[in-house]
Amino acid sequence: MRTLLRSVFALLLVALQGVLLHFVGGGAFSLALPLAVVVYLGLQDENVEGLLGAVVVGYLMDASSGGPRGLLVFLAVVVFLLARLAGATVHLGGRRGFALLTGALALVFGLVAFLFTRYVSPPEAVPGARLLVRILVEAILTGAASPAVMWAMERIDGIFEKDEPGLLR
Amino acid sequence: MRQLLERYRDLILVALLLVLPLGVYLAHAKEPTELNAVDRVVLAITHPLEKVVAWTVTGALETWRGYVALRGAHTEAARLRRELGTVEREREALAQVHAENDRLRSLLGFAQSGPDLAVVGARVIGIQLDPKGALQLLTLDRGAVNGVAPTMPVVTADGVVGRVHSVFRGTSDVLLLVDRNSSVAVRIERSRARANVRGLSLPDVCRLDYVLRSEDVIEGDALVTSGTDGIFPRGLKVGRVTRVKRGSYGLYQTAEVIPAVNVTHLEEVLVITSRDRRDEAAPAARVP
Repeated sequence: MRTLLRSVFALLLVALQGVLLHFVGGGAFSLALPLAVVVYLGLQDENVEGLLGAVVVGYLMDASSGGPRGLLVFLAVVVFLLARLAGATVHLGGRRGFALLTGALALVFGLVAFLFTRYVSPPEAVPGARLLVRILVEAILTGAASPAVMWAMERIDGIFEKDEPGLLR
Repeated sequence: MRQLLERYRDLILVALLLVLPLGVYLAHAKEPTELNAVDRVVLAITHPLEKVVAWTVTGALETWRGYVALRGAHTEAARLRRELGTVEREREALAQVHAENDRLRSLLGFAQSGPDLAVVGARVIGIQLDPKGALQLLTLDRGAVNGVAPTMPVVTADGVVGRVHSVFRGTSDVLLLVDRNSSVAVRIERSRARANVRGLSLPDVCRLDYVLRSEDVIEGDALVTSGTDGIFPRGLKVGRVTRVKRGSYGLYQTAEVIPAVNVTHLEEVLVITSRDRRDEAAPAARVP
């Protein structure tokens, strides 16, 4: 049930992102908000449940991107693993740490996607190096917006938290 | 065996979830992707959501513009009246040029065969100018029920926006001219040289390809659709040439192009649902 609700939230984020980018800046910059969900799963969730959640979010991003399927699912799993690794090795205190990690992973996400796209594209359609600036801006903005996603994910998780009966009950 | 599987369950799952999508991607990356049933369900859910959010935001903005932001409207109206007078004079001048053009056409024996375009107006409800592998798309609030179909040209009064990429019942996605997968056959308006405009996945610049070295192209040249690609009608504005690059060898020269339509400011567009296909197919003698 929790995974389903998280998936619905990710779906809502994909839709919101499209509208938000249209009204704020008209698409002059881009965002990868659903990636913050994957980072959250990497830090908070169990291995199997988190991995499946990352796959669902990656698939939603893939479906809305219009590009060839699979790349964003693969990258969502990579981001999940990196977030897990970061959570285990570095202390990420609060929303600021989450924003920093999401920004850094969004940059990795963008750069790896860029390299793969360069690798598979025909010579006349290879994306140019000028896109790197946009990827950097996307990473910064995604990191800046990620605390809001974290807050929403915490509210969703709060629904499923059960009170443990204490000694005084 | 079972113990081994249970022991390394997570590792196996990770390996599978990494290898499988990557394999699917590498297998399909070089071919255009068709939407499968699951994709269609996902998009069928996100598009109405986008519509609702866009409607809410538009409503709030219009309320603001209509009631709160009316301060200074009187001054604005006076300025607009003055501008209207100027535009009216320009319109009259243009009407005279048009009439003169008609007379010259008659003299030369040309038939009055202006393209008879059927269009559908659409509002932009979402935009995606993703710098990564994704396509640069606009989401419109018109779809199959409104007569929109894949590959139909999408334009504004300023020029070419792109072409319809995927169509759903009430919405559609438009592949923008600036996407690196977009390619439009064009003519240089001044010299009539043929070329190709290709997107770079940047919102404000495209590339001019396949212009022979011997052709006359200079900075500031206007580009219009040639109609030879079978998608766009002839004569639509595409952009303006900047930074011509002519290497010391090679058959072609290239240039950068500033698109005629700034996709980051789009609110409404027109989808051309039918057009006069005579365009370039007409005998060469008829082309002035």
